[in-house]
Amino acid sequence: MNDRIIEIVSKGVVTSSSSFLPDKKAVYERVIAKETNSQAKWTLETICENARVAERNQSPLCDDTGVPHLVLDVGTNCVVTGDMLESIKEGVRQGLRKLPGRPMAVMGDDAHRIDQSLGLNDDPGALDAAPILIRSIEEDKIRLHIMMFGGGPEIRSKTYRVFHKHNVDTVIDEIVSWATEGTKLLGCTPGMIAVGIGRSHYEATSMMIQAMVDGKFDKQSEMEKNITKRVNDAGTGALGLGGSTSVLATFLKVGSQRASGVRIVCMRPCCCIEPRIASVEL
Amino acid sequence: MKREIKTPITNDDINSLQVGDMIYISGKIYCGRDAVLPKICRLIDEEKLGDIDLVGSVIFHTAVSPAGVGPTSSNKVEIEGSFAKLSEAGVRLHLGKGAIGKETIAKLDEFNSVFAITPPVTALLGNNTISQRLIAFPELGMEAFYELEVKDYPCIIAAAHNKSIY
Repeated sequence: MNDRIIEIVSKGVVTSSSSFLPDKKAVYERVIAKETNSQAKWTLETICENARVAERNQSPLCDDTGVPHLVLDVGTNCVVTGDMLESIKEGVRQGLRKLPGRPMAVMGDDAHRIDQSLGLNDDPGALDAAPILIRSIEEDKIRLHIMMFGGGPEIRSKTYRVFHKHNVDTVIDEIVSWATEGTKLLGCTPGMIAVGIGRSHYEATSMMIQAMVDGKFDKQSEMEKNITKRVNDAGTGALGLGGSTSVLATFLKVGSQRASGVRIVCMRPCCCIEPRIASVEL
Repeated sequence: MKREIKTPITNDDINSLQVGDMIYISGKIYCGRDAVLPKICRLIDEEKLGDIDLVGSVIFHTAVSPAGVGPTSSNKVEIEGSFAKLSEAGVRLHLGKGAIGKETIAKLDEFNSVFAITPPVTALLGNNTISQRLIAFPELGMEAFYELEVKDYPCIIAAAHNKSIY
């Protein structure tokens, strides 16, 4: 295995789990400045103070340190080897031990892992990453995006078909409905809404994950702004306390579409510390 | 208005709390979530609580692990389903996150308990956690029943006296 890659990935896991990116810090500053609900304002300020402490200590932002999800960008003239993939997995394992991640790998065979009857592995590094998503880029680089997916948003996420009736508003209306319901139940608001639209459930989920990688809080499309505004208009607010900010942004990626009256939509209402992400070059 | 609440919490404390109050909890609190709370409810039914003293207590819906503590969704079936039984047994404050149902809010009122929420601020809570002790069901790992000694855990009352923020 490649020690250099292991070290880079290990550090990336810690960074993703303990730091906000600059555009996220900036959007929090903006929403704190305009929030008029005192409890919501206190919540937003406390989330930011927690982020400052976590970054300083290189410690977890949240005790649910999440399940690692990896996106590997591969340049046109670059080569990915099996050894490189194994080194990435080892880097994740070492990063989870260093963080430390929450020891939440469920032990046992298929049935045991479903009912959790054999308990949990004490080793934070025993938590496997989700299957790696690979995509090509034009740069001559290999870049790994490391994201940690918390459990709360997974409960509220939804991948389902929408009959679009040849009107984009039909699909957006459905996304807003799902996102509004999801953020209300989530608790850890304000986060962002990640959305992928594709031809299959796999593709829609893949688009959603890529949206989390590529999305920027300070660069929003008109569709993204529209979804954000309408979810915020519902008034759930930070931590469900009301106020003006239920979500900070929407990250939307629309893939190729099927010649059909159906669109497959994947919506993930992310929590206030997500996307927990770090991008490293290998 | 921000105020301090020390455990064990009295009925008078609860009577004085209103939805939206910002409070700081200090003292000993219990921690449990999906896996262990149904087991605690069974211990109540079987009158086998032993040294677990739920009267005036706080139950924080969290795992306890080297990563720290932080609220999990209180509206998960096995957590919200435990509110009534635990409140009847003396738990005065359930601490977690997420919207809970009207029936649960009514049950809290029936037993003079409240629901409070806190943001997922693990790094900050770590600074305010004095000690931790495993109490029961060690086989559940991070989901076992723990007791923490804490100082100034920040939270907001989300449901009290049959009213809520939801």
